Amino acid sequence: MTRAKIELGDVTPHNIKQLKKLNTVVFPVSYNDKFYKDVLEAGELAKLAYYNDIVVGAVCCRIDMSENSRRLYIMTLGCLYPYRRLGIGTLMVEHVLKYVEQDGNFDSIFLHVQVNNEGAIDFYKRFGFEIVETKEHYYKRIEPADAHVLQKTIREPQSAPLMNGTVPHAKTNGHD
Amino acid sequence: MPPSNPLPPKENALFKRILRCYEHKQYKNGLKFAKQILSNPKFAEHGETLAMKGLTLNCLGRKDEAYEYVRRGLRNDLKSPVCWHVYGLLQRSDKKYDEAIKCYRNALKWEKENIQILRDLSLLQIQMRDLEGYKDTRYQLFMLRPTQRASWIGFAMSYHLLGDFEMANSILDAFRTNQMKGPYDYEHSELLLYQNMVLAESGQYERALHHLQKFQSQISDKLSIKETSGEYYLKLKRYKEGETVYEDLLKRNPENVMYYQKLVEAKQLRDPDAIVAFYEVYKKEFPKAIAPRRLQLTEARMPSFERLVDEYLRHGLHKGIPPLFVDLRSLYADESKAETIEKFIIQYIENLSKSGTFSSEPDEVKQPASALLWAYYFAAQHYDHKQDTDRALHYIEAAIEHTPTLIELFIVKGRIYKHAGDPVSAYKWLEEAQAMDTADRYVNSKCARYMLRAGHVKRAEEMCSKFTREGVPATENLNEMQCMWFQTEAAAAYQRSQQWGEALKKAHEVDRHFSEIMEDQFDFHSYCMRKMTLRSYVGLLRLEDVLRSHPFYFRCARVAIQVYLRLYAHPLQDVPQTTEPDTENLAPSELKKLRNKQRKAKRKAEQESALAAQVQVKREQHHKARQQQEQGDPEAPQLDELIPDKLARAEDPLEQALKFLQPLRTLGADRIDTHLMAFEIYFRKEKPLLMLQSIKRAWRLDSSHSHLHDCLLRFRSWLDDTHASLPPSVAAVIDTEMRPMFQGRSAQTMAQEYMQQSAERSQLAALWGARAMRRLQPARAPEALKLATRLDLPDLSIQGCVEVLESLRDGDFGPCEKDIEEYIEACRVKFPYANAFKPPAEQVPDHIIEDPLQPKEITVNN
Repeated sequence: MTRAKIELGDVTPHNIKQLKKLNTVVFPVSYNDKFYKDVLEAGELAKLAYYNDIVVGAVCCRIDMSENSRRLYIMTLGCLYPYRRLGIGTLMVEHVLKYVEQDGNFDSIFLHVQVNNEGAIDFYKRFGFEIVETKEHYYKRIEPADAHVLQKTIREPQSAPLMNGTVPHAKTNGHD
Repeated sequence: MPPSNPLPPKENALFKRILRCYEHKQYKNGLKFAKQILSNPKFAEHGETLAMKGLTLNCLGRKDEAYEYVRRGLRNDLKSPVCWHVYGLLQRSDKKYDEAIKCYRNALKWEKENIQILRDLSLLQIQMRDLEGYKDTRYQLFMLRPTQRASWIGFAMSYHLLGDFEMANSILDAFRTNQMKGPYDYEHSELLLYQNMVLAESGQYERALHHLQKFQSQISDKLSIKETSGEYYLKLKRYKEGETVYEDLLKRNPENVMYYQKLVEAKQLRDPDAIVAFYEVYKKEFPKAIAPRRLQLTEARMPSFERLVDEYLRHGLHKGIPPLFVDLRSLYADESKAETIEKFIIQYIENLSKSGTFSSEPDEVKQPASALLWAYYFAAQHYDHKQDTDRALHYIEAAIEHTPTLIELFIVKGRIYKHAGDPVSAYKWLEEAQAMDTADRYVNSKCARYMLRAGHVKRAEEMCSKFTREGVPATENLNEMQCMWFQTEAAAAYQRSQQWGEALKKAHEVDRHFSEIMEDQFDFHSYCMRKMTLRSYVGLLRLEDVLRSHPFYFRCARVAIQVYLRLYAHPLQDVPQTTEPDTENLAPSELKKLRNKQRKAKRKAEQESALAAQVQVKREQHHKARQQQEQGDPEAPQLDELIPDKLARAEDPLEQALKFLQPLRTLGADRIDTHLMAFEIYFRKEKPLLMLQSIKRAWRLDSSHSHLHDCLLRFRSWLDDTHASLPPSVAAVIDTEMRPMFQGRSAQTMAQEYMQQSAERSQLAALWGARAMRRLQPARAPEALKLATRLDLPDLSIQGCVEVLESLRDGDFGPCEKDIEEYIEACRVKFPYANAFKPPAEQVPDHIIEDPLQPKEITVNN
């Protein structure tokens, strides 16, 4: 029996509806039109994952310039339930890591995870992410409402240490 | 032969320059030179110059003047071959080929050996299929120019088309031996294959085979040699040799279904088990080929079918082959095979969802995650095929829940609703599928088609416009592209919504495409001879001969005929003026609402007209651009614009209907509908002999057809009324011919007999039978009504019930409001999804689709 084929593809105005459908079922939060508008401009920072030519996962990131550093923020990274534990998430994280490495000018990568989502926390720890902060009442209308901030440091901060501040933008994620 | 009125040298030189300008398309210069001759009073009426001036004007699009000048020129010089030739060219550019042929013949009267005129004449003759005339002209051309290749080929072909294979073959032989010297090229190879085709068509396979072998080395199309010689061996029953050929061919292409079938024929295998064993060999030889596996399933019987289909299904689901069900659908004709497939698919679903394997065998390999999805997808289509809507929907929902990103699922969901009689939900799901990949033209077209089925022509046009050229309305571009699937579906949609004029417009557009395709062959007559693609050329001629037998033509003709018959019975009334609503009797609040509404409507109308104006401007630009392009082609036909309202008010709807019918009478003679439509037209035109002919032809195809039965009854009744006034000879013919059908029975007896048997046969038979009974014996109306509305008929269908319902509503059974309601109620129980039987309130609202995937709004904290 042949191995299943897993590959990444671009998000385009033609297939963005597939990304919307995917996010709708994978995440307990919904994203507004601006999110999808930005995704179309994101190039390599937004990718669909194909399993035997079917869209089963997606990753969307943006560059965050707050707190005196240049960081990559993973807004969403998820995979349809029946296709988990098949290496699709790994492929997407590796894509992000490779992007960051090739760019060479990022301080870190970070993301938010619901505090009870142990699967996701373990998953990211495998790639060297650590919990650096916990935000109370981060989510509205879902339980639990608290989120961990997971971060992977790429290079040590050269200037001032990380300040206590809030994440300025509304967009976050909800992994399982 | 010199012209009857020769010009002096100076003017003659000018005239020659006019000719040269015409050939080089320098029309303006041509006119200048013509003016120089004609302005001299001595030559102001010089025939040939006037004619050439006319021809040049024609090329500049000044048609009326062109005819005036050419005719004037001809009148002044009736013995000039030039004038006649010019007149012929002018007629030809107007597609009046018959007239043009006459002109060329006149021209040849005055100049027998003019090669150019003979050539032009031969082209017209083959276009008009005047094969005898074509042969004579080709003979003359051959005698005049025996050294030219085209002379020989045309000469031979004229005999071939007349069925004189011997003569055609000997001309080709003589040409080959005397004219063709090496080196042998591709054209030579094509000529040999053409000659071989002539031999085969004469039925002399032995000779054809010998010819093929003899010239093998000079033929470059090696595949053709193999395929045709295989064919010949089978025809000659030389099976051993045939076997070798097809075995060879299979090595070239192990997916060619035809090769396998021919090989089975060559091996003279008849026993299904032997054929199954035969495919087994090729499965081993070509492990990657699908064809032998699939063909095996068609032949296999129980119990080996079980094992084989199990293997086939597992392979398809493992790989995720989307059309797996469509591939296997033809097996469903055998009920036991369908049941076997069902058994397996249920088993797979159960095991895949539990353990990720196809069966419960402990050592089985795990399947990819998508296998379960494809199994659901297959099951949904399987149950849809069985018309089990609930189960089909259950499985497609399961599939969508499993993988909501797969577009195919939404297409199938739409199709399930379509089959269940709910075209509105159907198109909405297709819209959903379409939105998921807007670059997919297949889904786009499919969606547009579903919209047409639901009666949304405008929306369908908008859908198509995503792929048509920008700046042009989609309908115009679709028409230009001869997009006939769209136009036939649109015609049917307009017909359903009783927009008769629009329906006719679409039908006429399709009809024009067929005429255009006929015209288009003109260029190939000379081109193919030159390029030596003679086999394809003969194929083209034969295709054009039966062009209107195409289903697209049949469909558009049927719409047109039905609409014209309807318009004959109910001509359109003049449109009443739209009246202002009565504002005086409205309460102030109502009045305010109304004013608001009007204001909104006005604003919307203004926006729309602004948009329309933009489109208009673009369209004009487009037209201009096109006209400029077409200046080089003055032969573009000038057709009347099709205006729906005018079409719907045709003065002679029956004549118009006949025009659509005519091609079908020869090309669609094997379809009973053709003759039934013919009867309906001639019945209204009261043409007894043509009615008789239509009935006889239909009778020969299917004597028990329910609509035919109704025609018989009406014919009988009509004869009862008019028999005495018919000419005796006509009456006698009808009496003799109809005897076996009427068997001396009265209309009443026939209706009664038919009704007694009809209900057991089919829903349609019951409806027609009941309708006839009600018409002939109004007293038995209750009985007829009961028969028509029976729901225990063997072939009960949504479409059938809708027809019954329409008939009830049309008043065919008198006023029966209560019965209609009861009938709808009963149908709804049988077909709960069908829109036709839903009360208006329950029908799916036609604007917003509920997205089942949209969760409750949850926002994220800032």
